[in-house]
Amino acid sequence: MTTADLNVALPFIIVAAWACILLVIDLFIPADRKGLTALLAVAGMGFASIPVLLRFEESNRAFNGMIVQDGFSSFLQLLLLGVGVISVALAYDYLQRRKIVKGEYYTLLLFSVSGMVLMAQAGDLIIVFLALELLSVPLYVLSGFAAKSNPESEEAAMKYFLLGAFASGFIVYGIALVYGATGTTEIEAIHNVLISGVSNLGLLTVGAVLILVGLGFKVAVVPFHMWTPDVYDGAPSSVTALMSVGAKAGGFAALLRLFLAGFPEIAANLAPILVGVAALTLIWGNIAAIAQQNIKRMMAYSSISHAGYIFMMLPAIVDSDIAPDAISAALFYLFVYAVSNLGAWGVILALERADGGGLSIDDYAGLGERNPGLALAMALFMLSLIGVPPTAGFIGKFFLFRVVLDANMIGLALVGVITSLISAYYYLRVVVVMYMRSGDPQVRSERWLNATLWLTALGTFLLGIFPGPLLNLASRTGLFGLVP
Amino acid sequence: MNGAATRDLFALAPLIIAFPIMGLVINLFIGRRLSERWVGTIASAAVGLSFVTALLQFAALQNTPDGIRVMVADWISIGTLNISWALKIDSLSVAMSLMVAGVSTLIHIYAIGYMHEDVRLQGDPGRFTRFFIYFNLFVAAMMILITADNYLMMFVGWEGVGLCSYLLIGFWYEKGKDGIGNAIAGKKAFITNRIGDFGFLIAMFLIFWTFGSLQFDEVFQSAEGAGTTVLTLITLFLLLGVTGKSAQIPLFVWLPDAMAGPTPVSALIHAATMVTAGIYLIVRSSVLFALAPATSNLVALIGAVTALLAASIAVAQFDIKRVLAYSTISQLGFMVAAVGLGAYVAGIFHLIAHAFFKALLFLSSGSVIQGVERGLHDSGQTNHETFDPQDMRNMGGLRSRMKITFWVYLIGGLALAGIPPLAGFFSKDEILADASENSTLIYILLTLAAILTAFYIGRQIFMVFFGEPKSEAAAHAKENPPIMTVPLLALAVLAAFGGILNLPTLQSLSKWLQLTLEQVQHTEFNVLVALLSFVFALAGLAVAWRVYGSQRDAADPMRRFLGPLFDLWENKYRVDEFYDWLFIKRYKALAFTLAEIVDWRFLHDWVHDTLLARTFQRSTRWLAEGFDLQVIDGAANNLARLIQGIASRLRTLQTGYVRNYALSIFFGLLILMSYILIQFSS
Amino acid sequence: MSTQLILFFILAVIAILSAIGMLVSKNSVYSAMFLVLNFVTIAVLFLLLNAPFIAMVQVTIYAGAIMVLFLFVIMLLGTDMAAEGISMPWQPPIAILLSGALILEFAFILFFAQQDVLPQIEAISAAFGSPQSIGKLLFNFYLLPFEVTSVLLLVAMVGAIILAQRETG
Repeated sequence: MTTADLNVALPFIIVAAWACILLVIDLFIPADRKGLTALLAVAGMGFASIPVLLRFEESNRAFNGMIVQDGFSSFLQLLLLGVGVISVALAYDYLQRRKIVKGEYYTLLLFSVSGMVLMAQAGDLIIVFLALELLSVPLYVLSGFAAKSNPESEEAAMKYFLLGAFASGFIVYGIALVYGATGTTEIEAIHNVLISGVSNLGLLTVGAVLILVGLGFKVAVVPFHMWTPDVYDGAPSSVTALMSVGAKAGGFAALLRLFLAGFPEIAANLAPILVGVAALTLIWGNIAAIAQQNIKRMMAYSSISHAGYIFMMLPAIVDSDIAPDAISAALFYLFVYAVSNLGAWGVILALERADGGGLSIDDYAGLGERNPGLALAMALFMLSLIGVPPTAGFIGKFFLFRVVLDANMIGLALVGVITSLISAYYYLRVVVVMYMRSGDPQVRSERWLNATLWLTALGTFLLGIFPGPLLNLASRTGLFGLVP
Repeated sequence: MNGAATRDLFALAPLIIAFPIMGLVINLFIGRRLSERWVGTIASAAVGLSFVTALLQFAALQNTPDGIRVMVADWISIGTLNISWALKIDSLSVAMSLMVAGVSTLIHIYAIGYMHEDVRLQGDPGRFTRFFIYFNLFVAAMMILITADNYLMMFVGWEGVGLCSYLLIGFWYEKGKDGIGNAIAGKKAFITNRIGDFGFLIAMFLIFWTFGSLQFDEVFQSAEGAGTTVLTLITLFLLLGVTGKSAQIPLFVWLPDAMAGPTPVSALIHAATMVTAGIYLIVRSSVLFALAPATSNLVALIGAVTALLAASIAVAQFDIKRVLAYSTISQLGFMVAAVGLGAYVAGIFHLIAHAFFKALLFLSSGSVIQGVERGLHDSGQTNHETFDPQDMRNMGGLRSRMKITFWVYLIGGLALAGIPPLAGFFSKDEILADASENSTLIYILLTLAAILTAFYIGRQIFMVFFGEPKSEAAAHAKENPPIMTVPLLALAVLAAFGGILNLPTLQSLSKWLQLTLEQVQHTEFNVLVALLSFVFALAGLAVAWRVYGSQRDAADPMRRFLGPLFDLWENKYRVDEFYDWLFIKRYKALAFTLAEIVDWRFLHDWVHDTLLARTFQRSTRWLAEGFDLQVIDGAANNLARLIQGIASRLRTLQTGYVRNYALSIFFGLLILMSYILIQFSS
Repeated sequence: MSTQLILFFILAVIAILSAIGMLVSKNSVYSAMFLVLNFVTIAVLFLLLNAPFIAMVQVTIYAGAIMVLFLFVIMLLGTDMAAEGISMPWQPPIAILLSGALILEFAFILFFAQQDVLPQIEAISAAFGSPQSIGKLLFNFYLLPFEVTSVLLLVAMVGAIILAQRETG
């Protein structure tokens, strides 16, 4: 271990160490001032972003290849830290309302973010597994955070934990088979063994599929998505917001790196499967969402469908000419999805009542009149999630579809376009209810929450009109480090 | 004017879009605190300034006839694909934006007076500001559509105007039949337009796929090199978009229902501007359409058939706005037929002329409706629930009671009928002349439509303004304040003299558009055709006078003449019912079939609980809600109720059992493994 | 066949049978004991693979500490008979069918479909599985995973405490 090694791991080290310290500090913060804990958590993530920014474009390898740093990891780490900060802001008031204030909430959130940050850098299957657990275990606990007052929360935690453990089993088994086939767990080394032709292709393929199943569970693609609506629904909404973005980004970080840098040749063999999974996810997620009356369940299916859009990039990276574009498109879409989705969850949080009510889509009736600002923001988020120009979501989808077309997967592109047209029905239903029905929604207005909503709404809008800088950044990250 | 000054003027072009946005932002943030007069003034001034900017562009173009591309900012830049926020300022877009901004300004001013009254009649004055925010948003989106420099930006505008249309149709969403009629109308417009948008989207992908660019200039430059097949495909999908937005067969069903919006909305969006976007799209893509003759023929045919079909329906309608709605569809058919024949100038000419007189007719009808409503109020009658102020059978004799409205209506009506020297005569005649040269079939269809046009507008004028008042309300009807009548007069002037734009021999619009459009046909003024169409128009009006001029009771004498044909027309050829039968009934049958299968005993346990029931629940609810967005729960919709009934029986489905979920993961893995197995063993 | 291979097969069969036994036992104490048996057999398998340290860890931590904890919980809660859940008669047959199909597929792919060689792994020294070499590996090559694991365990502990806390508070 050298200082250089530590430098590369610095973002993770800062977040994890900060979380440990916060665990202790929190003991001395009185129960009515837990806002301080929240603030400290945000500060920790702020500090962690400094080394990322300083060494944004560097490419490094540390701890014997256990972790790597490149544009891909830096982009994702910034995104994930931002998601963490916003999740804290979303949670602060919500926890008070639901009377589940505990300092450990923020600590666990930090631990989870540390897992995500580590996942972005994972260069070895062992780290992939550990990072996945590190990001998941706190989420299991957070899902059950409202268990005292709400048995559904406990049920969600239990379900998520059991099924998550089940999926982890697949990953471990997959890693073992990959090791058996190649004699190494380091992602780059796996590729070297693979192209030198001394690996056992059968073992490797089965291992890859098992890892795909486990990670597919984490990012919630069909048919490994069944847990999503139940868990999203039962978990406290602020946790769901983090789950729907952070866990997904973490899972995709691993999937993309693994399939691009580890075994692209296997991915080429699996391409029809990957296309099938993507198409199935798009269709199932978007159609099932229409039948939902509860907004959290609707957003759960929405998150499944968005996983499908990003998943379209996996079969695309098979072609090495397209791979850089595919990676950039996936990164850009993850960013855009994070912004719009967190914003939408912010609105959901603002309308959720202390007793856990206010979550039916019908409860949004009259929002357009009572609180035009909030309704406008929600409409913007919904439009962006559909992909209507000129919102950020449109640019993201446009980029994705372009890559899919470049990769000659016209059928998949068509499924994507048609399903996003279908998605207009359920997203716009929220808009319609907000503006075209009268009602008396109870809206919670709070500083941190409002700031988040402003930020995300502005981001959704501006990224739709001037996506240039972020597109550039995302395109550049596809070019260095990750693509061999 | 020197070159530098011209460039400065072009630099102002983005203001065409920016002014309406500013207007809406101001009203959005401080509109609540302002009086109605201020809100209306800000909104109208914003559009007026937009018009002034368009005028400046017009001036600048005199120096640079080829037009210019005004860059605003980079938008999307991915690898080889570069799409900018750029405006295409050329003679075509400037002509369109002058028309849109001009008509919009007048309608905005009119709306100040109209909405002042309307929000009170409907009982929610708070929505006044919202109306103008939507209205400004619409103008901004329309301007984006017109000045777009690439298909993507055009699509932004296309979606934007669609959204505003949807919001404004459902403006009084809690009103209408059974309290949900307006919301349903909005929904119908929305769903129909999504089908059209789908066409546009696919066309856009095909264009990008073929040309690697979405910018107009680049696409058109390389258009020759592309194969006919792909061009035909592209133009066919574009045509699907056009039929949605411009209400042509088969997607025209939404426009008549769209009249549920306030009258200024009908005038601006559903007559003068948005619905013409489809024609604009075809003219913009004229290079592509010219290279795809098969599509062009189809375009012409669809236009001509729509023109005739809609005109015949208009003959048998009793709702004053519905007649105008079908008239709009019919006139749009004329334009579509014209551009299908390659007579792009004639199409645009008629588009502009039609914008003038149809906006005039709609606004005047709004004036009539409010006059009658006020009369109803003054007459002391209280049957507001049952009385329909839009039914022409309740009117009559308004000529003496609403003088200004009558005269402007007459001008608009005659222009529509094609009586010289009003605008409609010249523009319609140019289309007919083109048709007579190119295709006899189209010419006959259009001429028949023109005769019917003269007849139904004559029928309307005579039913509404002549004879004796047929209700108390009509007897007490009163003229509207100047804020509404002044814009009417201005539009009447435009409708009367709009023909100057492209007089025969002078051909000023042709020359102007020739700067942009390469394939402009020079159609010589055809005296025979002009004379014929004039005679036909007179004949149509005369028959209408004969039948309706001295009519006393409310029954329609045509019903006796035409018998079942009249019923068929009155019921709009039962197209709505046909679509209902074709699509919705099928879904219902499917739902019942599935329900029976699910109830079979031996499939009970496993198949029932997981496979069938879940798929069934999801698919049927989707099928149902694809058509029934459940905008309003209380919808008296049998299908929705049926589905909900079934759904509640199957509530046990989302089992929520971890072991079932785990099983599904296992199942997924099994499928993936099977694939690998097959791949390895082959 | 060498002695090692024979031993391996015997142990493997015992391991699988004990795992099945754990699954099907209605009495949870029996289940726990089957699990102990399973752990011990696996520990012996580790021994056969020349990894004495891991074998010891397996016995002391899993078969020892964790199973004692399990048994405590079972005794304290008094749920020595598995509660009858909501019966789902179709679930077990489907599950068995799916697992069977999967095993067959795995077997076919691994043993029949592909015949290429396993990668050459450097010869393993006799001291490979000794505590010293494992310690060295953990604190050198695998330092980062080792530390991450410690964080993970901390998180699990904190989480367990928080979830359990509500019982009293």
